[in-house]
Amino acid sequence: MMNIFSKTKETDYTIIIGCGRLGASLANMLSDNGTDVLMLDKDEAAFRKLSSSYGGLTLEGDARDISTLREAGIEKAKVVVSVTNDDNTNIMVAQIAKELYQIPYVVCRLYDPERECVYHEFEINTICPAVLSANEINKLLGSSVYHMEAQRA
Amino acid sequence: MKTSVLLIGGFDMTRGLASSLLKKGYNVTAIYPDYEKCKVLAEIEGLQVINGDGTKPFILEEAGAEKMSIAIALTDHDDDNLVICELCKKKFGVKKTVCTIKNGENTEFFRKMGVDAVVCATNAITSIIEQQAFMDEMTTVIPIGDGRLSIAEIPISETAPAVGKKLWEINLPKEVIVGCIMRQESNIIPRGDTRVLAGDVLILLSSAKQETTAVRELTGR
Repeated sequence: MMNIFSKTKETDYTIIIGCGRLGASLANMLSDNGTDVLMLDKDEAAFRKLSSSYGGLTLEGDARDISTLREAGIEKAKVVVSVTNDDNTNIMVAQIAKELYQIPYVVCRLYDPERECVYHEFEINTICPAVLSANEINKLLGSSVYHMEAQRA
Repeated sequence: MKTSVLLIGGFDMTRGLASSLLKKGYNVTAIYPDYEKCKVLAEIEGLQVINGDGTKPFILEEAGAEKMSIAIALTDHDDDNLVICELCKKKFGVKKTVCTIKNGENTEFFRKMGVDAVVCATNAITSIIEQQAFMDEMTTVIPIGDGRLSIAEIPISETAPAVGKKLWEINLPKEVIVGCIMRQESNIIPRGDTRVLAGDVLILLSSAKQETTAVRELTGR
């Protein structure tokens, strides 16, 4: 039993940076699925957003300090998700994870898609809420409203 | 053509750097987020000021980043400075990027990410404070290469153990060299058999680690 436990810890240890609405709901989801999660935020009060069933770890600190990331055990992480409300922090954390620690899966949120060029040469997945929302709204409108208009005409 | 320099953030540093660079004949543009402070910056003659967030690509474009030879990021946040340098380099093709950082631990990482020169303001200032506080003998210390090397000015008092000795008789550490002796109005480039006299001012080139030992050998303190 112990063996299996330690094995899962090594293989899917996930660090989430930024305990906002997105970070917290992702952490709750992953934790409910049995993933080992560590939530890192610079403000301890932010951890209130985690659900009562959240079974992962929390750490208070600034992710822009490499020493904080080391404290979070970044070298054994498989996934690093950076979703703070500051694009530049997310970019920097994602690059530290990818370039200094060679984390296999690095995801980060970017409010401003214009900064994406910084990532081109790195294998970092970016999520841009504005672009996603626009696509989704376009899909909603495209399949119903405009289609119906076209039919009526 | 004049070399163009872009300064981003860091009000006081921008003010100081802009004046000194303009005097040396560079084209200088500054980006600062606060409108009121931009007005103060605009009072510097010849300085172009752009009001906005320098981590945004369109602000950099407005400032003419693609024409810049050097971009210097001076904001208070290490992450902002990293993004500014990366955008300047990758999106606008700026040849040389320079930034200040707060956390000295980040120096190596920033270099790895392609920032050409990383200056840790905190480290530089603390080492200067240390030197000023503990080595009264030295009037000026110029740290170079991130403080790995330094040039120091050392006045020799009458009681100093080095007085009357030839340079090769003084037991100086290996990584230290006396580059020049300033004696009254003349400058002497010393050789091993040059004698040190009271009232001389020695210009010392040394690695940071050996500096204190060298000073002790020369001045006895």
